[in-house]
Amino acid sequence: MGAGVAADNGVGIDLRQPPAQVGIGLRQPHYAALFETAPALGFVEVHSENFFADGGAALAVLRQARERYPVSLHGVGLALGSAAGLDPWHLDRLARLVQRIEPVRVSDHACFARAAFAPGAPVVHANDLLPIAFSDASLSIMASSVMQAQERIGRPMLVENLSSYVSFADESMSEPEFFAALCRRTGCGMLLDVNNIMVNALNARVADPLAACCAFVDALPLGIVGEIHLAGYCETGGETDGIVIDDHGSRVRPAVWAVYEHALRRFGAVPTLVEWDTDLPAFDLLLGEASHAAGLAARVAA
Amino acid sequence: MNEAQRQRDLLAALATGAPSIATLRESGERAARGLEAYRANAEAIADRALASTFVTVQAMVGDEDFKHLAREFWRAHPPEHGDLGEWGDAFPSWLAVHAGLTAWPWLADSARVDLALHRNERAGDASLDTDSLHLLESTDPAQLRLLLMPGTAVLRSPWPIAAIHSAHQLAGEAAERAFAGVRESLAAQRGEQVLVARQGWRAVVHPLEAPTAAWTQDLLDEVDLATALTRAGESFDFAAWLGIALRESWLKGVAASND
Repeated sequence: MGAGVAADNGVGIDLRQPPAQVGIGLRQPHYAALFETAPALGFVEVHSENFFADGGAALAVLRQARERYPVSLHGVGLALGSAAGLDPWHLDRLARLVQRIEPVRVSDHACFARAAFAPGAPVVHANDLLPIAFSDASLSIMASSVMQAQERIGRPMLVENLSSYVSFADESMSEPEFFAALCRRTGCGMLLDVNNIMVNALNARVADPLAACCAFVDALPLGIVGEIHLAGYCETGGETDGIVIDDHGSRVRPAVWAVYEHALRRFGAVPTLVEWDTDLPAFDLLLGEASHAAGLAARVAA
Repeated sequence: MNEAQRQRDLLAALATGAPSIATLRESGERAARGLEAYRANAEAIADRALASTFVTVQAMVGDEDFKHLAREFWRAHPPEHGDLGEWGDAFPSWLAVHAGLTAWPWLADSARVDLALHRNERAGDASLDTDSLHLLESTDPAQLRLLLMPGTAVLRSPWPIAAIHSAHQLAGEAAERAFAGVRESLAAQRGEQVLVARQGWRAVVHPLEAPTAAWTQDLLDEVDLATALTRAGESFDFAAWLGIALRESWLKGVAASND
């Protein structure tokens, strides 16, 4: 861990930045609207990998956005939980992007994607956020990779909890325990996706999903959450055998807003992102969701 | 359980369509639906990633067939990196030997054009080093190399790759006329050469005559200016080419061989 990473709160990052900064996920169809309307936003967040190229228009747009807003780099491909380890190529590209953009935050997921189909076979990248088991072995893998990544980019990062469609029966700790230990060991923070908690609770068919999500939030230590994600989900299949998909393709559901409010009461004014990645809405609707988040944060802070 | 083994098992289950793996909490239909959600996502991602690069190929084979090709290709050549913008280099060669595509032998070279355009738009940004042009007056051409912009590529094909690409940029009657020309060129097996270069932020295709394509390839291969001129022959008008290269922003600069 590089100098200056550790800090008093034990997670090495100023996680409480009142007042709450609310941002939006910036996607290509909204580029023009962002620059034309220049809305008051706390930050914009992009998928890091979309800007890994040596040059080109996308990078130019991101640099333009950076002149106006803090930029948060949110990765979907580092695959921090892969037993095969990190891809040095990926880490180099991320480090270069961090240097180019000087983001306000850098984050990725508690997942795996790099693995071989068989022992000794070449490692491939699944290009998905595949679930890890919450076990001591997974924790060691994650901690090692998070520390390697933080060392390479020269700053602490945030790690996001997943929505997952399968889980493992032989886990040795709960997800909040896993994240608490990860943050303690590595100095990283947590990117708390409250929609993902809800998706998992619904897929687990718990009796009271909202209560389960609030219990998840309550089980997290104070001071580790550095950003919150909000998004929409969709239901597929029937009532008995269907599953809920975290598709980021609709408005935030009322129950997810309720979990968000609960999280704000527990963690205070945490930077918050509204993600919308599929079936992108009109820019104004996305801004409306962000305004709603800001209003809730203000109400909780009052 | 060993985590590496667990991850290999899950990846293999997703790739092969196996119904379940040993350590899943879910079972039966619920497990199958969960795994299918990942498979569907992977297929959609593969399709979107390849379609954004191989625009002309997708237009030629149609959306549905392209989806099938993308799935097949993912299984044959899964991505190595987490940036799907880097995935697909092997796609043209894979198409070239695909048993179901032998009736469209030009498809692979059209894919190579698509790939060159994609690569060009991801290449580093550069501008002309105007000061370096003075070297053309002061230095022996045998000691000079002309540098083209990053991402510049020359492709040569026994098929009308420029006409095919151009026709797919058009609509309406103009497209119909262009495709009629393409069909004639395909029937005559009229080969073409193209230069892929950036125009503003967009990569574009420039049809080239064969001698100019050979000359440009020499420059990309860092052949010295004197040798490149000799190989181009007396009929090659260097001054005219230089004017076009400067106007179209193909030229990055001039370098002395010892640079």
